[in-house]
Amino acid sequence: MPDFNVRSDAVNVEQIMEQIRARIREKRGVDYTEAQIKELASVKLEKFLDPRGVRSDLLEQFRRAQPTYAPPELPNFAFEDQTLFESTRGPLRFIRRLLRPILKLFFNPNPLIQALNIQSKLNSTAAEREAKRDAARFAFDQLHYEVMHNLVIETTRLGIEVKNLKMRLESLASRLEFNERRARALESVVVYRPASEDRPAQESRREESRRDESRRQDTRRNEPPARPAPPPPPPAAEIATTADTQAAGEASAQTPGSTEGPGQKSRRRRRRRGRRGSGAAAAIMGGQEQASAEQPGGDFGDGESGDADDSPIDSADSGAEFAGNDDAIEQSVDRREARPEPFEHAFGAQAHPDEPATGDPAGAPATSSPAARAVENQPVEEQPEEPTPSKPSASEQ
Amino acid sequence: MKLAIVVQRYGLEINGGAELHARYIAEHLARHAEVEVWTTCASDYVTWRNELPVGEERVNNIPVKRFRVKHERDPLTFGRLSEVVFSQTHSVSDELDWLEAEGPTSPALIAHIGRHAAEFDFCIFFSYRYYHAFHGARTAGARAILVPTAERDPAAGVSIFGPIFRGVRALMYNSPEERTMIQALAGNEKVPSVVVGVGSEVPQNPQPHRFRQKHRIKGPFAVYVGRIDENKGCRELFSHFSSYLRQQAGNLTLVLIGNSILEIPTHPRIRHLGFLDETDKFDAIAGAETLIMPSFFESLSMVALEAWALGRPVLANAKCDVLKGQCIRSNAGLYYDSEAEFVETLRAIEFNKWIAGSLGKNGRQYYRDHYDWPVIERKYLAMLQQLAQTPHVGDSFESTPGWMERRKATCPPAAQVVAAIPAGPSVAPEMTIPRPAGPVTPPLPRRPQTPDRGRQAHTRPPSPGGGRPQRGGRRSSGQGPGAAR
Repeated sequence: MPDFNVRSDAVNVEQIMEQIRARIREKRGVDYTEAQIKELASVKLEKFLDPRGVRSDLLEQFRRAQPTYAPPELPNFAFEDQTLFESTRGPLRFIRRLLRPILKLFFNPNPLIQALNIQSKLNSTAAEREAKRDAARFAFDQLHYEVMHNLVIETTRLGIEVKNLKMRLESLASRLEFNERRARALESVVVYRPASEDRPAQESRREESRRDESRRQDTRRNEPPARPAPPPPPPAAEIATTADTQAAGEASAQTPGSTEGPGQKSRRRRRRRGRRGSGAAAAIMGGQEQASAEQPGGDFGDGESGDADDSPIDSADSGAEFAGNDDAIEQSVDRREARPEPFEHAFGAQAHPDEPATGDPAGAPATSSPAARAVENQPVEEQPEEPTPSKPSASEQ
Repeated sequence: MKLAIVVQRYGLEINGGAELHARYIAEHLARHAEVEVWTTCASDYVTWRNELPVGEERVNNIPVKRFRVKHERDPLTFGRLSEVVFSQTHSVSDELDWLEAEGPTSPALIAHIGRHAAEFDFCIFFSYRYYHAFHGARTAGARAILVPTAERDPAAGVSIFGPIFRGVRALMYNSPEERTMIQALAGNEKVPSVVVGVGSEVPQNPQPHRFRQKHRIKGPFAVYVGRIDENKGCRELFSHFSSYLRQQAGNLTLVLIGNSILEIPTHPRIRHLGFLDETDKFDAIAGAETLIMPSFFESLSMVALEAWALGRPVLANAKCDVLKGQCIRSNAGLYYDSEAEFVETLRAIEFNKWIAGSLGKNGRQYYRDHYDWPVIERKYLAMLQQLAQTPHVGDSFESTPGWMERRKATCPPAAQVVAAIPAGPSVAPEMTIPRPAGPVTPPLPRRPQTPDRGRQAHTRPPSPGGGRPQRGGRRSSGQGPGAAR
C-alpha cells in the first residue's frame, strides 16, 4: 500500500479523498463514470447519424421523434345480407322489402351478396394482419436501435478498457525492466572472492613482499647509525625487488593513473585509508577475509611480525607505509580497486556496463578494474622463484 | 420548568433512532426539569399495533403516559397514498389522508395534549412526519418545540409540514444539512433553532478481545451496525465489499451486527452475527478497523457517533449528505461514491495506521465537542431558557385550508419538491459550545407547582447526589429500525 503524502496531525479528509481519487485515476487511466461513457457513446453515434447536432439523450430523442404506432385506417366496407336493401328512410325500406320477391324474379342477388360479404371479411383480416406486422416491425426497429446503441456503449467501454490495459501493460513492462536492472545490479554487488587458482600466486606475492621488507630492515640494522653516508648501492636482493617493482610498474603503467608522482600516490594512499576506516558495505557483507583485513593492526602493526592473518592488501600497505615499497603500494592499490562497489552505489546496470547479465560474480576473476586486471595478468615468471608455502586463507581458518 | 416529551413510541425495548433519541433527551433533561413523556401503546413502527398497556408507568424513573392507537396501519392504503403524494400532483386532503394512513393515529393522545399542554412550559415533539407531531404541535400551539429528525426523503416535501416547521416555537436539528434542507423547504429561517443532535452512553472500557473470543473473529475486521436492509444501503455495501474481496485488496472481514431482512452473501469473510447486546456492540466497534455506514439517508447516525466516541474511523456513503458532511467537518471519516472509492478508502484505512489513528483521534474530539452529553444538555437548556425569556405573541400556526381548498389538486409531487432543493454536505464548521467544567447547572426558571391534578405524584424524586437516573434493563443497541436516523 503506498503511503499518503499527508504528514501532519491535522488530517484533512478532503485532501485524503483527493489523493485516493488521484490514485484511482492513475490505476484506471481516465476514470469515466457510467454517465460519461454513455455520453461518449451517444456523441459518437450522433456524429455518425447527424454530424450537425450532438445529443446525449439519443434514445429518448429517437423515441420522441418516432410517433407512437397506430394502425392505418384502411378503406373497407361491411356487406351483409340486408346491406343492398337498407335505407335511412323507413317507407322506402318497406317498399323495397315488398318488392324484393319481384326483384328476385329478374336475378338472384344472393351469390353477389355472399361474395361481397366474404371480400369484406378478407379485407378486414388482411388489414389486421398488416397492422400487426407493422407494429412488430416498429418494435423491432426500436429494439435494433437500442441494441445498436448498447453496442456502441459497450464498444466505447471496451475501447477505454483496452486503453487502460495498454497503460497497465506499459507500466508492468517498465516495472519488469526496472526489476531486471535491479537484479543485475544486486548480482554485481555480491562480494568478490578470489578464484582458488589465483590464491597461490597471491600468497607467493605476499611472501615475497614480506621477505623484501625483512631484508631491507636487516640492511638498515647492519649500517652504523650515526655516520651520515651516501646511500649504499642497492643489494642484489633489492635489485631483484626493484626488477619486480619495475615489472609491476610496467603492468600498472597500463592503468590511466600510473603516471602519477610519489606525492600523488601518498595522497591516494591516505584517501584510501580514510575510506577503509568508514567501512565499505561490501566489506561488511563479505566474509572473515575482509573483516580481518580491516583490523587496525593490519595498518599500524609491526611490519616484522609478518602476521599470517594479514591480507595481501594490508600487509602490502603496511610494508609500503614503513619501507616505502612502491611495488607493494601498487599492488595494494590495484587490489583495493578490485573491490566491489558499496551497496548503495551499485544500483543500475549502467554502474557495471561490462558485467554479464547473469552468472555468479563471486566465481568470476577479479577483473573489475583495469588496474586489477593488469596485476592479475602479470606473468608467472615475475613471481619469486622460491615457491612459498600456501597459507590457509582467513575464511579457511 | 415542566417539559412534555411527545414521541410515537417509547420504552426500553424500543430501538428506533428517534425513539431512542427521545428517551435519552428525556432522561437527561430530567436532571434539570420535570419531564413527562406522552406516547402511544404501540411498539411496532410498521403496524402501530397496541401492544403496551394504556395508562401511566415509569421508565427509568420518568413518568410515561400511553394512549391507544385508533387503528393499525394498512400497508396497501398507505402505499397507494404514498404513491399519490410522492409522485403525483395531489391535494391537501390527499396529504392528510396519507398522514392518517401512516399513523400512529391516536386522537386520545392529541386530546390529552389539548387538555394538559397548558400545564407545561414546553412540549417537545419528535419526528415531524407522524400523526402525533403534526396534530400535536398544532394543538400545543406556542408551546411546541420540534425535533424533526428529518431525512432527505420525499416525506419532507409534503406540503402540510411547511406550516408546522414555520409555526413551532423552536427547532432542534440533528445536523446542519437537516437545517439547510428544512429551511429550503419551509422558509423558516426566523424560527429559533439550533443544531443539537444526541449523545450516547458509550462505555469507558470496551473489550475488543472479549468480542473476538466470543464470536471467534480473527484478523482485522470492519463492522456494520444496524438493520441489514436495502434501504440502509446494505446491498450496495455487499456489492462493494465483494469487489474488495475479489481484488484481494486487503485482509478485512466484514462483520454485520443487526437483524437482517436482506439476503447476505455467503463468504468466509462476511460474518453476520445477528442482534447483539450493547456490550458486544461496543466491543465490536472498539475492535474494528473502521465502522462502515452505507446508508443513503440519515438525519444523524448514532452508531457513527459511537464509533467516533470510541476513537474509530468511519467509512460513510458519500451519497448521504449528512454523513459526508460530518466526515468532512470532523476530519474523522472517509467516504465513498463508487466501488473503486470504497475499495481504496477501505485500503487506506486498513493499511495506513497513521491515517486511521488520526481519524479516530479526530472523531473522539469531534464527539467530545459536539455530542457529549454536557454539550447536548447545555444546548437544550440554553434554547429553553431563551424561549422562556421571550414570550410568544399571537397565533403561531397558519390556518388550515378550507374544505374546498383542501380538495384542489395543486400540491406538486413531494419527491419533486425535495429533488428541487439544493443538496450537498455542509462543510462550514459547527458552532461549538464550550464544555462545562462541572455538571450542568439548571439555568431554567422554576415553575410554580400546580396543587391540583396530582402533579406531585409524577414529580421525579431527586436522585442522590444529583446523579443520572438509574438505568434498568437492557439499553437500546441501535441495531433496530432506526439505529441511524
